[in-house]
Amino acid sequence: MNNENAIEVRNMSKRFKVDYDKAHTLKDKLLFWRTSHVEVHEVLKNINMDIKKGETVALIGTNGSGKSTLLKLMTKIIFPNEGTIETNGKLTSLLELGAGFHQDFTGRENIYFNASIFGLTRKEIDARIQDIIDFSELGEFIDHPVRTYSSGMYMRLAFSVAINVDAEILLIDEILAVGDQHFQEKCYRKLKELKDSDKTIVIVTHSLDVVKDLCDRAVWIYKGELKLDGDPIYVIDEYLKQVALDHKEEKQKAIAEGKHRFKCAVFIDAPRDFVTVKKEDKVLFSQGWQLSDHDDAVLKVTVDNVEVDNLDRVNRLDVYDAYREVYAGDMDPDTIGWKTNIDLTKLESGKHRLMVQCLEPNGNIMAEKSIQFVLE
Amino acid sequence: MHIFKDIYDYRELLKTNVKKDIRGKYKGSFLGILWSFINPLLQVVVYWIVFPYLMRKGAGGDNYLVYLITGLIPWTFFLTTVSSGTTSIKANAGIIKKVYFPREILLISQVVSGLVNFFISCIIIIVFCFAFGFGISIQILMLPVVAFIQALLILGIILILSSLNAYVQDLEYIVSFLLTMGMYATPVVYDLSLLDGAGVLGKIIRMNPLTIIVMSYRDIFMYHVWPSMKQLGVVFILALVILVIGYIVFKKLEKGFAEEL
Repeated sequence: MNNENAIEVRNMSKRFKVDYDKAHTLKDKLLFWRTSHVEVHEVLKNINMDIKKGETVALIGTNGSGKSTLLKLMTKIIFPNEGTIETNGKLTSLLELGAGFHQDFTGRENIYFNASIFGLTRKEIDARIQDIIDFSELGEFIDHPVRTYSSGMYMRLAFSVAINVDAEILLIDEILAVGDQHFQEKCYRKLKELKDSDKTIVIVTHSLDVVKDLCDRAVWIYKGELKLDGDPIYVIDEYLKQVALDHKEEKQKAIAEGKHRFKCAVFIDAPRDFVTVKKEDKVLFSQGWQLSDHDDAVLKVTVDNVEVDNLDRVNRLDVYDAYREVYAGDMDPDTIGWKTNIDLTKLESGKHRLMVQCLEPNGNIMAEKSIQFVLE
Repeated sequence: MHIFKDIYDYRELLKTNVKKDIRGKYKGSFLGILWSFINPLLQVVVYWIVFPYLMRKGAGGDNYLVYLITGLIPWTFFLTTVSSGTTSIKANAGIIKKVYFPREILLISQVVSGLVNFFISCIIIIVFCFAFGFGISIQILMLPVVAFIQALLILGIILILSSLNAYVQDLEYIVSFLLTMGMYATPVVYDLSLLDGAGVLGKIIRMNPLTIIVMSYRDIFMYHVWPSMKQLGVVFILALVILVIGYIVFKKLEKGFAEEL
């Protein structure tokens, strides 16, 4: 193994046996040892990669692409069927937080249990325990039994232990979903700190902004194969293109089979609900956006069931970015937004209803949103 | 040698596991750790009441009660550690699927906590020895040696059984049956001299390594003679052989634990 590398993967393949009726008892094994219905599913095919010491690498890919399996293989929880995975240096995985927590023991005692699973000695834990407690922000609760914790507190404690273990290689699976916004930001800062202190970090995540911001390199796993490996911005772009393509293909297949349920979202940015407007303003500016994966979706804006005719479509890149993965391949950023000026002169004083609908060509309503405004 | 380094690196895990085993076992129960005394004592009482009636004369010569205790407590060490060891991989499926650590730690900590429990229980033996006028003698120095050999034997056995149990999950029921049988294949409640006319069966029971271990404990506590070093040596070598085989089997099977469980 090359000394500069933290992780080396060579010609590695992993297969899972998908056993429909898993024979776990002796009787089953004896009776069904020939007839057992086993399907072999190749999750990872011939993966080769090096991760250098000090690199922060993201594994990206859709659900079921095998990226979490690859992380598990690096952790040595499971082992490859072919090829090798070698690691160099103390390794911690944050795959599953709170492993080995014992409900009846206090937070403090559980820090010792949990940290010892990561291979720390008593002395090392003693040296870190204050940092861990401070990071978890549990305060006096640290001496209460873990079973009295809320799920958020539990996760915070678990994360604090895992991140303070001081491993040389950190494997992280979708963990930036711990706790509230404040704690997440703190975790994120800690990760950046670890990155700057020359730790090797491998992250599996779906939040591509994190990848762009944090990682030096992105590895895209596509259907069990290593598709692309390089600078995050380029890899993510290619990845999203492929997602869009697959998405479209899948959708067309589903439509052909008549199984597809179209998705749609509509939104009204302005005016706000229950707003009061004055008649002398003459017009009420209104805007929002609409998304759909139906090619012929129709947008209909009505005021008290009378359709508004002076509707303009506008560019909404912000919405496009937010929905890039969900509506991949179905969006044109230039026509996402809509805006209109509602003519107030023809309306009576009193309550009115502004409604936005997204319709299929046959008039079927896919999504709608409405607000009230009061004219004075 | 890699294994020793691994275990040394994870010594804190071993310690906390043992602590959790001993303290966590009775946590929340009213009598707490006292149960590890009460349990074998209650068993002793049952056998002490029933067995003298079943046998023509009380086994063990003068004092059947002390004879029972010196056999039953080492047997309980073997029984509880083997049965909990067999299921320990399955019972820890949660962490095995999630974190990497040397899996053998789980089994070693089972044996160590069993050993600690056994040494605590030896206090009962000694109390009874004094109460019935046996006292103690210099032979007590052999106690750690015999206990160590027994612990090695147990570790070897559970390395094999626990890893097989992850694949064939009804092994634990077979094991619990074999253990029940094993108690009668070991002179725990009866005296070896009762088997003089038993032919092959008697020979098998005399060859049972646990017979030798239990008899050695009795030599130490009751008869105050040095146990047979030759026989103990044979058991020790046997324990080492099982341990090596067990370790090889375990290392081979452990790779599939996370997927099989």
